[in-house]
Amino acid sequence: MRKGTLQYCVLALLADEERYGFDLVRSLAETDGMVTSEGTIYPLLSRLRRDGLVETTWRESTSGPPRRYYRLTADGRRALDAFRGEWGRFRDAVDHFVEREAG
Amino acid sequence: MSTTPDKLVERYLKHLEVELGDVPRDRRREIVDEIAGHIAEARAGLEHETEADVRNILDGLGDPADIAEDAGERLEVERPTPPARHKAGATEVGALIMLLVGALILPVVGWVIGLVLLWVSNAWNVRDKWLGTLFVPGGLALGLFLLLFPTSSSQVSCPAIIDINGTTITPTCDTGSTTSFLGIAGAIVLLLLPLFTTGYLVYRLRHAPANATA
Repeated sequence: MRKGTLQYCVLALLADEERYGFDLVRSLAETDGMVTSEGTIYPLLSRLRRDGLVETTWRESTSGPPRRYYRLTADGRRALDAFRGEWGRFRDAVDHFVEREAG
Repeated sequence: MSTTPDKLVERYLKHLEVELGDVPRDRRREIVDEIAGHIAEARAGLEHETEADVRNILDGLGDPADIAEDAGERLEVERPTPPARHKAGATEVGALIMLLVGALILPVVGWVIGLVLLWVSNAWNVRDKWLGTLFVPGGLALGLFLLLFPTSSSQVSCPAIIDINGTTITPTCDTGSTTSFLGIAGAIVLLLLPLFTTGYLVYRLRHAPANATA
């Protein structure tokens, strides 16, 4: 499940601003339990790019070699919005059973 | 800076490249480049880099084998699901028949129909299609035509020589027979080539992975 939802977390991180790979990975890694191997984000980014959900631009960096920045495409935004709706319903449904069991 | 951290990184990236062997080359390049960039960014953020720092960065990225496994799963899904083997349909059978003997049924047009079917089909790759196109235009018709109607060049009569007495000497010369021998040999080659090509295209239908490149 983590694997399937990870790509939407990446899309969500890109919703408001473009980011470069290292920055994205750092943000994901800040939340425990999201990513076990940081390296796996890069195949995921490659996949998102081929699927047309994100696009990339190289930008000069002040501190080193140029960085590849990722940005959401219109398709990416649609996919994220669709997932948000679906996820909300799914989360509520799971909560409905799991929370009651615990309480 | 000690060379050890550099060596560690180098070894890691090489290892990753090997593990990603099944991933298409352009994506492998992209992934390895991005991860190399990640490592460089992480190292640039260190005040005094130690070997332990670098090892932590690499551990954070994860075992190359795990990354490759994940990449395989992720990118596999994306591949257009090609059927393991492309079944020879009417297009392929039609293409092979018309290329070989189409011109005998309908001069020129028959072969052209075969050609169109060949290029429309996605059971062969571009190289196969060129082979089918070039060997041999007209299929068997060209060779048969040359065999049945030897070219005029093989019928060239030897020039007559008139000697001083005014008598015409027709020298015996075997140029004609040599030419016609070459003509026949050529015609046989032209008959065999399309047969080989057809055989090869049939073989490719059965054994080639169908990676359609229309």
